[in-house]
Amino acid sequence: MTEEKIVVANKGIIRAEFAFWVGQYMDKFYDALENKKIVGNKCPKCGDVFVPPRKICGKCNETIPLDQNWVDLPDTGILKNYTITYYKINDRASRKVKKPQIIGMVQIDGSSTSIVYRLLNIEPGEVKIGMKVKVNWEEATKGDPSDIKGFSKA
Amino acid sequence: MEKVAIVGYNQVKLYSDANYGRYEMIFEAVRGALDNAGLKKKDITTVVSATNDYYDGRTISNSLTVEPGGGYLADESKVEMDGAHAVLYGLMRVLSGNHKLAVVWGGSMASSYPAHTVHLYETDPTWERPITYVSDITSAGFQMRAYMEKYGISAEEIAKTAVKNRKNAVNNPLALAEAQNPNITLKDVLESDIYSDPVTELMVAQPCDGVAALLLAPEKQAKKITDNPVWITGVGLSQETYYLGDRDLSTSKSMELAGKMAFQAAGINDPNTQIDVAELYEAFAHEELIFIESLGIAEKGKGADLNAEIGGDFPVNPSGGALGGNPLCATGLIRIIEAVKQIRGEAKGYQVKNVNKAIASGQIGMCSQNNILYVLEGDN
Amino acid sequence: MGRQVCIASAGFSEHASKRSDVSMPELVSEAIKDCLKNAPSIEINDIDMFVNGNMPAFEGANIPELWMTDWMGARNKPLMRVTTGGTTGGSVAIAGYYSVASGLPGVDTVLAIAFEQQSQGDTATGLASVAYGEISVLNSLGIPYDQLTLLFSAGAAIGVASYQATNYMRKSKTTEEDLARVVVQNRHNAAKTWWAHLKMPNLTIEEVLDTPYISYPLRYGMVCPASDGACAMLFTTEEKAKDMCDIPVYVNGVGSIATETGILGYCGSGSGQLDPSEQLGAQKTSDVAFQQAGISFPRKEIDYAEVYSPFPNQELMWVEKLGLFEENTASEMYETGVTALNGELPINCSGGVNSTNAIGASAMERPAVAALQIMGKASNQVPETVHTSLGHGWGGYINLITMMVMADEPARKFK
Repeated sequence: MTEEKIVVANKGIIRAEFAFWVGQYMDKFYDALENKKIVGNKCPKCGDVFVPPRKICGKCNETIPLDQNWVDLPDTGILKNYTITYYKINDRASRKVKKPQIIGMVQIDGSSTSIVYRLLNIEPGEVKIGMKVKVNWEEATKGDPSDIKGFSKA
Repeated sequence: MEKVAIVGYNQVKLYSDANYGRYEMIFEAVRGALDNAGLKKKDITTVVSATNDYYDGRTISNSLTVEPGGGYLADESKVEMDGAHAVLYGLMRVLSGNHKLAVVWGGSMASSYPAHTVHLYETDPTWERPITYVSDITSAGFQMRAYMEKYGISAEEIAKTAVKNRKNAVNNPLALAEAQNPNITLKDVLESDIYSDPVTELMVAQPCDGVAALLLAPEKQAKKITDNPVWITGVGLSQETYYLGDRDLSTSKSMELAGKMAFQAAGINDPNTQIDVAELYEAFAHEELIFIESLGIAEKGKGADLNAEIGGDFPVNPSGGALGGNPLCATGLIRIIEAVKQIRGEAKGYQVKNVNKAIASGQIGMCSQNNILYVLEGDN
Repeated sequence: MGRQVCIASAGFSEHASKRSDVSMPELVSEAIKDCLKNAPSIEINDIDMFVNGNMPAFEGANIPELWMTDWMGARNKPLMRVTTGGTTGGSVAIAGYYSVASGLPGVDTVLAIAFEQQSQGDTATGLASVAYGEISVLNSLGIPYDQLTLLFSAGAAIGVASYQATNYMRKSKTTEEDLARVVVQNRHNAAKTWWAHLKMPNLTIEEVLDTPYISYPLRYGMVCPASDGACAMLFTTEEKAKDMCDIPVYVNGVGSIATETGILGYCGSGSGQLDPSEQLGAQKTSDVAFQQAGISFPRKEIDYAEVYSPFPNQELMWVEKLGLFEENTASEMYETGVTALNGELPINCSGGVNSTNAIGASAMERPAVAALQIMGKASNQVPETVHTSLGHGWGGYINLITMMVMADEPARKFK
C-alpha cells in the first residue's frame, strides 16, 4: 500500500425506485387503518392473533384463509419493551439527533404479537414495561403504517 | 460425518477505512491463505464467497470478485450471508466428494456503505421499513433490555464483556485499532454515548473493512497438506422467525438449535466441560452472554457469572470477538479462523492453554436471527 | 464421500408481469405449496433445511428470506442463502443438491426456493449497474462517470445479448428468420405451460419480424418479458425419494463455472473473453457436469434439455456450446423440428426463459422442468419417455453458467 492519492473522484446519485405489493391480507389491514381501526387475523389451529394479519401462521404452518378469521381489535395495548435512541435513519442516511426518540414494542389488546412504534408525550423516566398505552392516530389517514403516529399513555 | 479439515487461513488487518481497494484486499486474504497452506492457485477446485450486494453498493457484486478470489474458471458459487455460512457451503462441496480443496472467503468494506441504512433494507418493506422504527439500532436496545428485564441483569454485568473483549483485542495484531482499548474501564463503557438505550456505543461491535479466507480439504488431502489439520466435527444452523414482536429476545432460539445440531454431530453433550474455548460472533456485548446461555455453557441468566477471560474457566473470544472489529460477511469466518489458531497453538499473544476442542459461530439478521455454529477439533 | 441425491418434486407459482395480488413472501409460499402438492406424502415440517435465493437489488430488499421465514415454513430450521445474479436459481438448485450430497447429520430433505418479484423494482437500473462492469476500470481508461450512459458499453442484458448475437450470426450464418422461429416455438410451448408468462399459441414468424429493433439483431418481439414468480424444488436422499414419488430423478452431474472478471477482461466489462459468443464457461461447465454424469455423447444421450435463453440467439448458441448439436447447425435443428415437442431432442418445452423470466427463479425453472419431464409430470410433457435431461442457467454477471444433469438412474456408486 502506497500513500493515499485521489486519482479520480466521481460523485453522483443513481435513482432506483421501489414500490412493494403488500398482498391482500395487508391490504385489508391498511383499509382498516385508514378508518382508524386495527384488525388482525387468527390462526384456526393455535388461536394466535396477528397484527398485522398474515397468510401463514409460522408456529403451525397453517394457512389462514383470506376471507375468514378476521378479528376486530381495540386501539389500546400493553408496552412490552422499549428503547431510547438518538439515531434517525432513512433509506439514504443515518444521523444523530439532539432529541431522543423512545421506541416501544406494544402488544395490542387481544393480539399475540407486538408492533414497534414511537412513544409520544412521555419522558424516558416515566416509561414502564407493562404500562397501558393507546394509539395516537394521524388527523388525515392514508392507509399506510404512518397512520399510527405513535402510542401514548392510556 | 466424514472428516474435513481446515488446512490454511488468512485474514487481513481490520481497518475502519482501509487505504486500499476491495480487489486487493480479497487477493491478499486468499493468496495469504494459499501461502499459509503451501498451495498454489492450480490446486483450487472450488471457491465459495460471502459478500452482500447492499454492503458492496452494486448489483451482482459477487460476480466481479471472482477473479481476486481465485475462482476464475473454477467451479464456484456464492453465499449472501456471513462468511461462516460460506464455510458451510464449502464444507458441503467437499463432503459431496466432488471437490478436494475449497477456498472460502468473505468480507465487506464498511467505509464504502452508509452505516445502518443497509440494514434497513432487511426489514419488512410492506410494514416496518416505511416508518423505520425497527432497525439494527433499536433492535439492539430491545434485545438488551429484554435480557436485563428477564433475569435482572445489570448494565454493569454486560459492560464487563465489552471490557474483556476490547482488552483482548489489544493482543490481537489484526484487530481494529479503534477497538484495541488497553485501559478501558466499566465506567468508560457505561458512560459512552447512548446507541440505543440501554446499549452504549462501546458495547457495539463496530462494522469495519476486512476480508478473511480459509481452505477446506477432505481427510486424505488434508493430511498431505498440513501437519496441523483442524477437523470440523459438527456444524449446526437455524433461523428464528422474523418479527421482533414474535420472538423472546432474552434468549437466542436460533443459537440454541444451532448448538443442538452441531453438538449432536460432534458427540458433545456437555459443552462447558468438553469445549476448551469459544469464538462467538457477538454483534453486541449482551449477545455474548445470551449465546453462552443458549448453548447450555452457562445457566439461563447466569452468563455474566462465568469467568470468560483467557485464563478463566471458559474463555470466550480471546481474540476480542466481533467487538474487536466487525467486517460484515467476514466476522463469522474470522471467528472460525481464531478458533483454528487456538487449536493449532498459533494465537500468539492471546493463546489459551491446552486447546483441543473449540466452537465458533457466525450470524446474520437482526438480534442474530440466524446463527451457525461449528465444533472444531485438533489431532491430539 | 457423499451420497446419491434425488429430486422428488418441483413446483411453481403463477408468473405474470405484475403479481400485484401477493406480497413477496406470499408469492414464495405459492411455489412451495405447488411443490409439496406434487409430493403428497410429506409436509412442510418434514423439510430439514432451506436453501433460497433471488436477486436482492431488483426488489430493493436485502436478504429477504429473513422477513419471509414463516411464509416459507422455515421457522427454527437451517437456512442458507445463495445469490449469483442471473443464475441464482441454478445456483440455489445446485446448493440444494450439495446440501443433501454432503450427508450432514440431520439434513436429508432440502427445499430449494428461488424467486423474483421484479414488478416492485427498477430492473433497468439494477441491470445498468451490471452493464457498466467495473466502473473504476472504465474510469481508469479515461471514461468519466457521466459519460458512461452515452457509452452504454453493454446496455444491460440486451446489449450483451446483441454482441453475442452478432458474433454468433457471423460465424454460423444464422438469419433473423431463424431467430424468430426459436421465439415462435418457445411462445407456443409456453401456451401449454400453466405457470408461464407469455402464452402466444398463434404467434407467427412474420409477426415477430414485424416489430421494431431494440438493438440489432434483437427486436421487441424477440425478447423475454420481466416476470414476477417463484419456483421450488425438493431434494432428498435416494431412499426417501422412493417414498415421495414414483420416478425419483437422480442428480448425476452439476457444474457452475464462469469467465467472470472485475479487473481483467474486455474493457472492465466483466468478461475474460473478447468474443462473447465463445462462452468458455459453458464449455467447461458442461464438461464437468457431463463427466460426473458419465455422459460422453450428449447429442445421443440427452433426451431433453432446458437451456437458459432470454434471447433467441442464445438458445441457438447454447445448444451448440453445451454439446447437444454440432457447431453452426442449431438453426437447422429448429427448422427441421428436431427440437420440437415430439422431435428427437426437445428443447425448452416450457417456453423457456424467452417466455417467462423472473430473473431469480428462471435459472431454477430450467432444471425443475427438466426433472419434471423425467417424472412425466411436466405441464407440457414430452410424449416419448425422458430418461436423461439437463437444466442450464446463464448469468451471474454475464458469464456464469450453471448446469444440472439428471436421469432416472444413478450414474455413480457411493459406498
